[in-house]
Amino acid sequence: MITAAAAIMASFTTPIQIDTTAASMLWLLPLVVAIAVVYKATKVHTIRLRPFARETALLIGSILVFISIAALVLHGIAWFVTEQLPAITGSSAF
Amino acid sequence: MTQTWKQNHTVFLTIAGLLAWIIPGAGHFALGEKRRAFTIGITIVLTFLIGLYVGSVGVIDPIGAKPWYAAQLMNSPAVFFLGRIGATGNYPVYGRPNEIGQIFTSIAGLLNLLCIVNAVYMAHQQAVGKTGA
Repeated sequence: MITAAAAIMASFTTPIQIDTTAASMLWLLPLVVAIAVVYKATKVHTIRLRPFARETALLIGSILVFISIAALVLHGIAWFVTEQLPAITGSSAF
Repeated sequence: MTQTWKQNHTVFLTIAGLLAWIIPGAGHFALGEKRRAFTIGITIVLTFLIGLYVGSVGVIDPIGAKPWYAAQLMNSPAVFFLGRIGATGNYPVYGRPNEIGQIFTSIAGLLNLLCIVNAVYMAHQQAVGKTGA
């Protein structure tokens, strides 16, 4: 029992390995779920499983769609500034 | 009479807010909103624990990351003691685990701040509803 407790405590003393890759962006998913659940918990009048789950899922979807659009727009701006602008102006952006 | 009501009202709101800060969801639990309390409590504690698991206790750094620490402190006063462990410098964390750990623990704190404000507001609504003031 004490060994198990010590092992659990020890797992919070060393960071896990996460590489700087596109896949590490998936860590935003549990965060979006947490934000949606807590936000909806403070907003709805009464918490009943089905309506609450539906509203939360809708909010999760909305956040993900908005983040995707924001990412696409930012990627487009970065692509224009780094790839297209130097050709137009005849000099590097940096 | 009015003064007494106002004093009691302030104490009531303060207790609701303090409970919500000390244990996430406890403010709502004290107001009889048990489902809401468990939903909030479990979600915030899990989010905070995921952050600690990913980045270790080193992500709570009251010296090198003060703005993040301020948000993390909103989780519970217990974070103050974790901060003292993190401040020793024995648990260094860098790179992506540090970023993700700090983001998770800080967002959990900011979500709890939202719940503290909500618990105080609900306490106010209940008090006003009972007295008709």
